[in-house]
Amino acid sequence: MESTLISLLHGFSVALQPDNLWYAFIGCLVGTLVGVLPGIGPLSGISILLPVTFGLNATQAVIMLAGIYYGSQYGGSTTSILMRIPGEASSVMTCIDGNAMAKKGRAGAALCIAAVGSWIAGTFGIIMLTLIAPPLATIALRFGPPEYTALLVLGLIFLAYMSSTSLVRTLLMACIGLMLGMIGIDNMTGHFRYSFGLAELGDGIGIVPVAVGLFGLGEILATPSHKVVGEVIAPKLRELLPSRQEWREASMPIARGSVLGFIIGIIPGSAHIISSFLSYALEKRISKRPEEFGKGAVAGVAGPEAANNSASTGAFVPMLALGIPTGPITAVLIGALMIHGVPAGPQLVSDHPDVFWGFVASMYVGNLMLLALNLPLVGLFVSLLRIPYAYLYPLIIMFCVIGVYEVSHSIVDVWIMLIMGVFGYALRKFNFDPAPLVLGLVIAPIFEQSLRQSLIMSNGNYLIFFSRPISLGLVIVSIGLLALSALAFVLNRKDWRTKLAEAEVGKTP
Amino acid sequence: MDRRNFVAGTAAAAAALAIRPSVAQSVYPDHAITIINPFPPGGATDVVTRPLAAVLEPIVKQPVVIETKAGAAGAVGTQVAANAKPDGYTLLSHITSISAHSEVDKLFGRPLKFTRADFIPLARFVADPCVLLVNDKQPYKTLKELVDDAKKRPDEIIYSSSGLYGALHIPTALFAKAAGGLKLRHLPTNGGGPALTAFLGNNAQVLVSSVSASLAQIKAGKARPLALFGAQRSKALPDVPTMKELGYDVEYYLWVGMFAPKGTPANVVTYLRDALKKAANTDQFKAAIANLGQDLAYLDQPDFAKFWDADAKRIEAAVNEIGRVQG
Repeated sequence: MESTLISLLHGFSVALQPDNLWYAFIGCLVGTLVGVLPGIGPLSGISILLPVTFGLNATQAVIMLAGIYYGSQYGGSTTSILMRIPGEASSVMTCIDGNAMAKKGRAGAALCIAAVGSWIAGTFGIIMLTLIAPPLATIALRFGPPEYTALLVLGLIFLAYMSSTSLVRTLLMACIGLMLGMIGIDNMTGHFRYSFGLAELGDGIGIVPVAVGLFGLGEILATPSHKVVGEVIAPKLRELLPSRQEWREASMPIARGSVLGFIIGIIPGSAHIISSFLSYALEKRISKRPEEFGKGAVAGVAGPEAANNSASTGAFVPMLALGIPTGPITAVLIGALMIHGVPAGPQLVSDHPDVFWGFVASMYVGNLMLLALNLPLVGLFVSLLRIPYAYLYPLIIMFCVIGVYEVSHSIVDVWIMLIMGVFGYALRKFNFDPAPLVLGLVIAPIFEQSLRQSLIMSNGNYLIFFSRPISLGLVIVSIGLLALSALAFVLNRKDWRTKLAEAEVGKTP
Repeated sequence: MDRRNFVAGTAAAAAALAIRPSVAQSVYPDHAITIINPFPPGGATDVVTRPLAAVLEPIVKQPVVIETKAGAAGAVGTQVAANAKPDGYTLLSHITSISAHSEVDKLFGRPLKFTRADFIPLARFVADPCVLLVNDKQPYKTLKELVDDAKKRPDEIIYSSSGLYGALHIPTALFAKAAGGLKLRHLPTNGGGPALTAFLGNNAQVLVSSVSASLAQIKAGKARPLALFGAQRSKALPDVPTMKELGYDVEYYLWVGMFAPKGTPANVVTYLRDALKKAANTDQFKAAIANLGQDLAYLDQPDFAKFWDADAKRIEAAVNEIGRVQG
């Protein structure tokens, strides 16, 4: 503990050198821009700027590149809240209640809560990273295919709480998502499935084109068909800040989101994507007023935003402590370190303390910078909404197209987005919520792969899920949740979803 | 925008387009060169190609842009490069597995999207030998112990790989064949990182990896190297015997090379070979490669073409040896 503090102080002495401060600032600034602009994601932002770091030393390089990564998590919520365009999979959930808040004229409040929530979650993540990175990392390694499978089963059970519509509609959407997730090469046998001869479909349907199409484009296409009330979302300056009531509603979700996100973040693989989905479902599950979700619930913004930020910090744990990449972005960072002659591995801390502790300390500083950078920008961003729709919407469509193309330079992706836009419009008209579809699409490929990997490991024996402690624990939680729901069903208690379904039936003549 | 502006603008744009070809005929290159990287950022191609592009720019005096077109284990980007206009402005950076794509398609009876003949090899930059590893929970100290145990327990020892027919699956298959049809169980993942993770978490016991990607884990004692797939011992791991020393006739390298689409004019190819040679031999590039834990293994076109032919034969044989997987 004491030695950790001394090392951290040493880290601050590295991070607070003017040069390093400057590179952290540049990284955070670029990250914010990358996050706000739907055109470029953090992955392309980092790869494009990688050659720029060749003239710098390893510490400066990793400080700057990591700044882009966590900076983009701050910016990512902006377009979700203001325009309902998720810049990446992790901001899908922010779209729903964030944009609903914006429509109620609380865009400023939503942005503030997202920024402060991100800061709290980010700082929490770094504190955890500082204190318990090495032991946590070993737990991360024990997270093999069977544990993954069990986690995703839990994710699927949480699906029921994802949506603001009835259970039948939610499950229908989820099924479509799961089926879309089947498209692509079968990793276990090498067969192409439903690819229609398009090599681009080999890796399956991307999440970003689907999410941008369903949420962003679908929203825009639906706008002309109802009367637009312009003045609702042009708030006065003093309305930019969240009210005391909103802070109160946000505080616990931020705390829960931070912890949940960090735990999920350290798991290697693509689990961090589902952190915001799980946080949303969790908040809805324990909320006293679950029917408010989807209509601008503060907890629906605060929880997921906190979760995706602390997940992005959690992702550094296996990277720094073990040298294994948790996802494409940490893979690029490891590559960047290697190019600078710092091999990322279990001995990074002992061999290169300057790089490790300087990097950790710079994240404390960087998160503060981001808060200072983002809060004043809230007013500016909100005033974007004053642009008349006639000019704003064509611009948004343009950004959607560029953004989706930019992810993997694929025209096929742009077509997928356009088709999904039309589909999203139809869903809105018929009152379906697209969020479970996106979650289904996220889960399907990972779930299939880890299930089949588990069965390879056990030679086809399903008991593997019950013989390993972590996966057994997750399976028990899943069974418990199902039992609770079944109990409510047996006791014939009506919960909010049944009421909702009845209301929907009542609505249609 | 009124109509007059529109007409003027269109005319200007048309004029600008019309000027291009005449300049292009005079000197190559007159605009940015694009290098397609068919793998996700952070992979072997990416970490070699980025420093290369940085040193290539001052040599060709044009921007050198890396365009990442990942997908389908590299097939997407490779197909784009194969169909690109062969004018020297679109190049492809690829690794060992470029030889596997069309062989896998043949195996499944799929129409071939491209073959090796669609590309002109320009230069090879690195050739990192692979190394066979067992994780620190395993008792094996020598390759012989592993082979003996694997023979006693067929299909029980698990190895992870970057994916079916991928760059890390092929060497394991080559070794299993050379060891007299050794039966190991294959756990495919979706990349070099996930394969390493599965291996370190003891969800797989054996992994074949490139030396540079696993050196840090070897030094930390998390992975034990048993044999090297190179022709000579590696400088980084001088104590690890080669497969050939141990009596297994296998050789496998994770190399990175540059290719141009078929039909690129001869003078452009000559120019590019020359430029790549200069770039590869700059101190800056050598330093970047050394930092990756590798040595420059530059080969110019004639040698590279010869090497590639021999390498492709090994890989095609391995793909056919693996065959179609039942599942």
